[in-house]
Amino acid sequence: VGSRERGAGMQRDVSSLALAPGVKVKLIGAGFLSAGDLGELRPLELSREAGITQQEALEALEALRAARGEAEPGRGGRLTALELLQRERALGAVVTFCSALDRALGGGLPLGKTTEICGAPGVGKTQLCVQLAVDVQIPPCFGGLGGQAVYVDTEGSFLVQRAVDLAEAAVQHCGAVAGDAEQQEAMKEFTVETILSQLFLFRCHDYVELLAQTYLLPDFLSQHPKVRLVVIDSIAFPFRSNFEDLSLRTRLLNGLAQQLIQLATQHGVAVALTNQMTTKLGKSQSMLVPALGESWGHAATQRLLLHWEGPSRFASLYKSPSQREATVPFQITAQGFRDVPPADLQLPSADPSAAPSGDPPTSRKRPRADEGEL
Amino acid sequence: MVFLREGLCPGLTEEVIQALRTQEIRTVEDLVSSELEELAQKCSISYKALVAIRRVLLTQHTGFPVSGADLYEELLSSMAILSTGNESLDVLLDAGLYTGEVTELAGGPGSGKTQVCLGVAVNISCVLKRTVLYIDTNGGLSASRLLQMVQSKTSNMEEQVEALNRILVCRVFDVFSLLETLHSLRSGGLEQASVRNGPIRAVLVDSVTAVLSHMLGGRQTEGMSLMMQVAGALRLIAKDLNVAVLVTNHVTRDGNGVLKAGLGQSWSHVPRTRVLLQRVDGPQARHSGLRWATLLKSSRQPCHQKQQFDLGSGGQPADSHPDHLQRREQEDVFKH
Repeated sequence: VGSRERGAGMQRDVSSLALAPGVKVKLIGAGFLSAGDLGELRPLELSREAGITQQEALEALEALRAARGEAEPGRGGRLTALELLQRERALGAVVTFCSALDRALGGGLPLGKTTEICGAPGVGKTQLCVQLAVDVQIPPCFGGLGGQAVYVDTEGSFLVQRAVDLAEAAVQHCGAVAGDAEQQEAMKEFTVETILSQLFLFRCHDYVELLAQTYLLPDFLSQHPKVRLVVIDSIAFPFRSNFEDLSLRTRLLNGLAQQLIQLATQHGVAVALTNQMTTKLGKSQSMLVPALGESWGHAATQRLLLHWEGPSRFASLYKSPSQREATVPFQITAQGFRDVPPADLQLPSADPSAAPSGDPPTSRKRPRADEGEL
Repeated sequence: MVFLREGLCPGLTEEVIQALRTQEIRTVEDLVSSELEELAQKCSISYKALVAIRRVLLTQHTGFPVSGADLYEELLSSMAILSTGNESLDVLLDAGLYTGEVTELAGGPGSGKTQVCLGVAVNISCVLKRTVLYIDTNGGLSASRLLQMVQSKTSNMEEQVEALNRILVCRVFDVFSLLETLHSLRSGGLEQASVRNGPIRAVLVDSVTAVLSHMLGGRQTEGMSLMMQVAGALRLIAKDLNVAVLVTNHVTRDGNGVLKAGLGQSWSHVPRTRVLLQRVDGPQARHSGLRWATLLKSSRQPCHQKQQFDLGSGGQPADSHPDHLQRREQEDVFKH
């Protein structure tokens, strides 16, 4: 029987297997080119033939077996679009407490997807993240997810006092609308203390810590299956300082992005990343664009831009696979991230992606007392 | 390079192999390219036996000629052009996606690559009634968006369910899983999965760059080899299974700031046709879904043709469409 007639799964190149590059080079050098060539060998024979250790030979043969198992039908993560739709509907979304933004996002921050939140300093990225970390815990009978939150803080900007404020407001809000017995019962569990105890904070000081944390997160999520939200605030900070090799930075970021997408899909969590803005010098005018370069724009499934428009704040959905692009107003009050009352509404004028960066600095970082309700 | 092994062909016994090995003859190539007379003497194997072994090995590993007429005949019977459901794109692609070929969509973030892919998947499954495999590597696949698009094509619930069932979804996030999926497709793993809906006619990979870009560059050599593996696998399934392959790619800028497709020179030979997607600039185009499509590479059409199209016309809900109503429609689908 010629090699031509062997199963197609056996024709797979050795170089396409998930093995260490050094092992692959040795295997190919010894004449093992396709999976079929490795077929009937025992680890000892293989280690002798290819000049690799027995351990490596064993791993190679196991990788081969796994690849062959994959080739059988009914394995792996294959499903039809209808099944996927059912899963998507079952997952739901994290509400933001700003109904206009929820509408634009199609019900809130979607689970199973990654969302990047970009904005200038002080526009409310961290506020939105803390708000989400509180909202994800709203009990199911109030239409929430009853989940837990992981908050990875790289900038040191997480203020626990602010989280307490937002949690108090959320508890009050739910208490005010609680009607039937089930909701009354759920309110006993939904307190500021439980909210804080179900918010897991990780502090990462540099990009190595952040990468390590991200690669360990799947284990953490397996141990804490109720986690429904992972926030990284911010992804930009550790990667923007002291980084000389920009190509390395791009590669690390792309790897990180794939890791996070995998995390979101496999554990059914919403992933929120915040990103800073940077000034891009154009020919005629300079623009504010999200930091970390153009290729990073592909990283997250959705991209939300928070920006100032005169005295008011707006959120623009810039990229989304399921929702139309939209710009909605929001405000940040003592209670947290909220709708703008209709009376104060001002329509946005210019394109948010090309907002001129010439604003005086004072207009961007303003004292919170200006925001009315405090 | 194929290793000489017992049972590879009659006459190639363990003793023969051991004898050959003393002369550093380990692979078929070594045997075929060696001087047989000399070898026979050195290993004390009969010259006749060696010649016979070589003959069998050569016939086993050779190719065979196919006449052009046969090829053309086969092409006429098996080739299909799958319309993308997007008129502008069909103009650029000369009527649609061709089976047996790799077509590429390149574009920056938010340029509409995923939307076009979703639209193509829906058109093939819903209008052409064929099975599609959608390989999602960047989490961009949204089933609710697929449903919206299907709903814009047909209002019949059963047809909607059928259309969604004809879209097979595979979510892989690293290059090895991608390769595994592509290889399993070749070995028939997915054919059985799709048997009730007929064979797969199109494979969409959105995006191929997402799993490759972090392995390319720097001092790594592994990424390049894996990229070529992906390229080979895509070409093979396009040809062997006679399916249309559509992949998406990111963009980079060259020295002059002009956009070009990512993954570099060696990848640029992989797709037969390449289309660049860009946002339409200008304040009036804000939130409009208007996009430019430019033909960068094609063997059928003059390059650098441009077409404008609207992503939203694929059936995205109007702004007035209330959210709860949309939700009710989705629930109805499950009742069937």
